Amino acid sequence: MSAAPTRSDTSSCRRARALVALRHALNLGLPILFVLIPILSFVLVSFWTLQDGQIVRTFTLANYRSFFTEGSYLPVYLSTVWLSLQVTFVNVTLATAIALFIFRRTPRVRFFILMSFMLPLFMSYIIKVYAIRTILGQRGLLNEGLMALGLIDQPIEVLLFSRTAIFVALAVIYLPYAILPIYLALDRIPANYLAASADLGASALQGLRHIVLPLGRPGIAAGAVFTFILTFGDFVTPQMVGGTQGFTFGRIVFSQFGLALNWPLGSALAVILLATTLLAVALAGLTLRREHVR
Amino acid sequence: MQPLLHLENISKRYGSVRVLDGIDIAVADNEFLTILGPSGSGKTTILRIIGGFESIDGGRLMFDGRDLAAVPINRRPFNTVFQDYALFHHMSVAENIGYGLKVRGRPKAEIATRVADVLETVGLGAFGARYPAQLSGGQRQRVALARAIICEPRMILLDEPLSALDVDLRAQMQRFLKSLQRRLGIAFVFITHDQEEAIALSDRIVVVNHGRIEQEGAPEQLYRRPRTPFIAAFLGENNLLSGVLAAVDGQLGQVDTAAGRLVATADGPLPALGQAVQVAVRPEHITLSPASAATRDALTAEVADIRFLGANILIELTHPALPDTVLKVRRLADGSAADFRTGQKLNLSWAVHDAALLVPGG
Repeated sequence: MSAAPTRSDTSSCRRARALVALRHALNLGLPILFVLIPILSFVLVSFWTLQDGQIVRTFTLANYRSFFTEGSYLPVYLSTVWLSLQVTFVNVTLATAIALFIFRRTPRVRFFILMSFMLPLFMSYIIKVYAIRTILGQRGLLNEGLMALGLIDQPIEVLLFSRTAIFVALAVIYLPYAILPIYLALDRIPANYLAASADLGASALQGLRHIVLPLGRPGIAAGAVFTFILTFGDFVTPQMVGGTQGFTFGRIVFSQFGLALNWPLGSALAVILLATTLLAVALAGLTLRREHVR
Repeated sequence: MQPLLHLENISKRYGSVRVLDGIDIAVADNEFLTILGPSGSGKTTILRIIGGFESIDGGRLMFDGRDLAAVPINRRPFNTVFQDYALFHHMSVAENIGYGLKVRGRPKAEIATRVADVLETVGLGAFGARYPAQLSGGQRQRVALARAIICEPRMILLDEPLSALDVDLRAQMQRFLKSLQRRLGIAFVFITHDQEEAIALSDRIVVVNHGRIEQEGAPEQLYRRPRTPFIAAFLGENNLLSGVLAAVDGQLGQVDTAAGRLVATADGPLPALGQAVQVAVRPEHITLSPASAATRDALTAEVADIRFLGANILIELTHPALPDTVLKVRRLADGSAADFRTGQKLNLSWAVHDAALLVPGG
């Protein structure tokens, strides 16, 4: 009982303790190293400035001030928020309808329909954007088709390189990201809930309103957050289908790093982008407050 | 008198499999009717057909003189208590119970009053604000019942509602269900595979097997006068002895079995002579006496095992001519267990009216 631990006891004990410490260090260290430090570093850089091509490391809010006062930053930011909200609204509505459509099929058919909607996720992003360009372009499928039908004599130019084109392209590309979480939420609704709802006298529409949509809400919120974040940060699609019209906030951030080489300003704008997406996540979280776990 | 609910010659197929065949059930007002059957017998399909969750391939479903064929689930004038209750977990107990009134567009104040009344009826007065996840199994059961009766249907359907509960709670809920049914004065159509539960609760039992009605009647009638070997074995315990019908005298049939000739009473028409029949005798109807006292119907068998079961003792006997059969005899455990020992030879006898003559597949 009271015998002193032998030497080997203490060493194995020490080794076990070291392993535990290492595990804690990794658990805590990896996120810090790969997530927190990069974020903190550009938060830090956002408080510096660029003068004569050199970064000046003195704390200043100048970059944030320019966001609010200078040129087109704020208007582009607001128009991008508005665009993203529109895409989110349209996509969540469409995705909810599609998810409901899949949900109402027999289990065997569901998987195939779901997979066919997920198929675009297996394609390269660039290919999808080009595909949209060939549909919307001056000599694109849509224009040629309309002309062949004699509905128009000249190609409609606004189809491509317009805000509408960006809107359509973003909606198409990010639709699967909304369908998946919404469908998964619906899929978790016990089958007999709808039977019980109908049994108690509810119409299909009332069942949708009182059972399906409330229980699908976590999925709808997740789908909305995914769509909003992805659209808001996208800087490739707007450039490729929007041309000069497609100056979104993502492209401004990108241009500060890639073209203007103004990293401090770029970082400040990126911090604003990050804050906006975090706000979106927080708002979505608020709607899930009243979830009752079974 | 016109039945409240009448299933007329209902049949149902899944592909080429006939799951229900000529089902005819009439439920009277205020009746506690149980549809009893082993799993796969089609009893759940019957319930789903009544509820409107399943279509029929033949026959008619009438409620209060009205054909329900074109009536969708949500317009059928009765409600269901589901097997696993199907309580909406995102709604409080009160919201769950008030759901039927809410979708009918009743005013909020009325819903609140009636929910409070029904909660009182099922003994859950203080639980309205809780959520289903915060309730015990028995409490959830009561919420499911409350939800089904709030719209004051003349009948409710119950799909094995007690199967998820443990034994003590089950007995308590049985008493509660029975008293609730009497208080409400509405018809209960109850589905179960548990014959004890069926016997304890029902005014009438319909036994279903392989998609057909095997027999129906009051619990005591089914227990005392089974018509088929299936019923005899399914409801309570029975000793079944196979043989051939040798002679007939009124309702009495003489059956030649491997253990000798036995006399049994038939409930329905007797089959032709020479046909294979079975004799069923309840373990509690058998009298044991020392082997020397020979009587006309006596079988002599050897005690293989004596089991003390609390209120009863169960004596298991074997007969040299019946190698695959264990004869069971039940006696009150009044201390006489000491009178028996294994290996002892005893005469088994019973009153002629306690031996039922059964026709296999009849």
